[in-house]
Amino acid sequence: MTPPLLETRGLIKDYVLGGEVLHAVNGVSLSIARGEFVAIMGTSGSGKSTFMNMIGCLDVPTAGTLLLDGIDTASLNSDALAGIRNAKIGFVFQQFNLLARTSALDNVAVPLIYAGLGRAERRAKAEAKLVEMGLGERLGHSPAKLSGGQQQRVAIARALVTEPLMLLADEPTGALDSQTSQDIMGIFQTLNDQGITVIVVTHEADIAEYASRRILFRDGKVIEDAPVINRRRIVA
Amino acid sequence: MANWTRGFANWAVNIAIALTALRTNLMRSILTTLGVMIGVFAVILAVAVGAGAKVSVLDSINSLGSNMAIVFPEPDRDGPRRTVDRGRLTERDARALQKLVSGVKDISPQLRSTIQLVSSGRNASTGALGVTPAYGIVSNITAESGRFITDADVRTAARVIVLGPSVATKLFGGFDPVGQMVRVNKVPFTVVGILESKGSSFGSDNDDLALVPITTARQRLATGTLQGPDDLHALFVGFEDGVNLADAKKQMVKVMRDRYRVPKGEISPFSIRTTEEFMKESGKVTAIFQGVLVAIASISLLVGGIGIMNIMLVSVTERTREIGLRMALGAKRSDIRNQFLVEAAVLCVIGGAIGLTLALAAARAFENFADFPAPIGIGTSFAAILFSAVIGLAFGGYPAIRASRLSPIEALRSE
Repeated sequence: MTPPLLETRGLIKDYVLGGEVLHAVNGVSLSIARGEFVAIMGTSGSGKSTFMNMIGCLDVPTAGTLLLDGIDTASLNSDALAGIRNAKIGFVFQQFNLLARTSALDNVAVPLIYAGLGRAERRAKAEAKLVEMGLGERLGHSPAKLSGGQQQRVAIARALVTEPLMLLADEPTGALDSQTSQDIMGIFQTLNDQGITVIVVTHEADIAEYASRRILFRDGKVIEDAPVINRRRIVA
Repeated sequence: MANWTRGFANWAVNIAIALTALRTNLMRSILTTLGVMIGVFAVILAVAVGAGAKVSVLDSINSLGSNMAIVFPEPDRDGPRRTVDRGRLTERDARALQKLVSGVKDISPQLRSTIQLVSSGRNASTGALGVTPAYGIVSNITAESGRFITDADVRTAARVIVLGPSVATKLFGGFDPVGQMVRVNKVPFTVVGILESKGSSFGSDNDDLALVPITTARQRLATGTLQGPDDLHALFVGFEDGVNLADAKKQMVKVMRDRYRVPKGEISPFSIRTTEEFMKESGKVTAIFQGVLVAIASISLLVGGIGIMNIMLVSVTERTREIGLRMALGAKRSDIRNQFLVEAAVLCVIGGAIGLTLALAAARAFENFADFPAPIGIGTSFAAILFSAVIGLAFGGYPAIRASRLSPIEALRSE
C-alpha cells in the first residue's frame, strides 16, 4: 500500500509574540491522498496559512509529525527540504511572485536551475509548460506586460515545471477578478483530473467549492473535514 | 548529474542573475564599482611606482660604473656606534690598493667641492669633482663633445673644466660651450668638454656636475678640512669584469687596516662600499618605499570593499522576497549564498578591470611625461583582477551568508 501523499499527526506551530505563546497550529492530524483536490478554509488567523507553510516545507513545526510522500520531514536538513520543495511541491502565490524584468520563459525555468538542469533543457521544459498554459505566444514577455490572469498562469507553469506531486496554492485567486478566478480554478481542476494533487488555501467559500474536499480551520484546529457537496465543475 | 557540473551550470546562471540585478540598479552599481575601481587603480599604481623606483635606483647605481668600490675616509656606519676618528685617505693608499688588491682595473682618487660658475651673466652652482683620467674608466663615462680630463691637465693643474650636460645648458643654453671661458669661484677656466648624459634617476639629476683635474681642485677649490697635501675625499676603485666584489672588498679592508695598523676588534676609520652593496641596500630601501605606497593605496581599496559590503547588504534587504521565492522554488542556502557572492565578485571584477585600465594609462603617462618608469607586468594585471574578485568574495561574504540564512517563509512574507 502506498503511503498517503501527506500525513500529519498532532502538528503544532507556536509563535512567541510579546512574551505570550500563540498556538498558530494546535494539534492537527489529517491525511491527504494522492489525486485529491483539497480546499483549506478559515478566517485570517485560523492557522490555515501556517499549516500550508509547514506542509510546503517552508516552515518547521514546533512539534508533531509531518510525513510527506512517506518521508518524516523532521529529520531533514535545510538542503534536503529545499530538494523536496524543488522536486515534489509546486507553489502558487496570491501575488504571483514572478521575478520582475525577467521573461515568462526565464521565470518558469527558475526551479529547473535548482534542479541542476542545463540551459537547453531548462528552456525546452519551461516552454512546453507555458504552451500547456496557453501562453506559447508570450514566452518573452516580462510580468509587467502580462495581465493578472496571465501572470498567474505563468506562476502555475513555474509550479508545474519540475513535475511535482502536489500544487500548493495560497489564495491563488485573491488578486484576480471573478472571471479570471474561475479560469484559474478550471486549470486546477484540469490538472487534478490529470492526477496532480491540488491543495488550495482560501477564505472564499465559493472558491472552495471547486475542490472535492474541504478542511475548515479555526483557532489552529481542524473543525470540519468533509467532501464538497454540489461541487462546481469547469469543463475545459 | 555530477555535483561539479551542476556547480558550473549554476555559476553561469549566477553571473547572468548578477548582471541583471546590477543593470536594474545601474547608477548604484556604477557608484559602488567606483570605490573598487579607485582602490585597484591606486594599488596597481603604487606597485608600479615602487617598481619604477627600484629600476631607477638600480640605474643610478649602474651609472656609477658596474663593477666598482668606493673608499671613504669615514668610519664604517655599520659598526657599533662609537666615535672613531675619520681616516686620512691619501694618494699613497690609492697606490697601495692598486698594488695589493687583485683584479683592480684602475683607481680614481677624488676631491669634492661645491663651486659657483659664471659665464656672461648666467650663473650656476654645482658639485665639482677633482679627478684623474681614471675617473672616466672607473665610472664608465666619456665626453660627449670636446674631451675628458687628461694626464697633462692633471700634471699641469690646468684651469680646464668638463661640464655635465645640465650645467652646460644652464650656463650656455643651447649652443656648444667647448672652448668658452667660464669663471669658477671667480677664477677663469676653459670648458674643454661636455659629459655624456646619464639621465636622472629617482628625481636626482645625474648630469648636474662638473669635473676638473684633481691637482687644480687641490690648488684652487675649497676642499674643506683636508689635513695633508695629498689627502683625498674618496677613492673609486674599478675592477676587471668577473672579479668577485665581496672578495675584493675583503682584500681592500685588510690592506687599509694593515696600512693604518688598526688593531683587531677596533673599527676601521675607513669604510668601503661596493656597487653590489649599494644595490642590496637600495633594494631594501625601495622595497620599504614600495611597501609603504602599497599600504597607503590599500586603504582606498579597503574603503571600496566596505562600499561593496554596504551595497550588498542593501541589495539583500531589498530582495528578501526574491530570496524567499527562490528558496520556495528549491534554492538551497548555498545557491542563495553563491548568487550574492557572484554578484559582489562581478561588481568588483568590473571595477578592477576598469581600475587596471586606468592604471595602465596613468603608468604610460608617467613614463612619457614625467620620465619615470612605472612598469605594470602581465602578472600584476592578472593579480589585480584576481585580487578584485577576492575583495568581492571577502566583502560580499557577510551579506551573502546573511541572505542564505534567511528563513524561507519569513523572506517570502516580507514586503
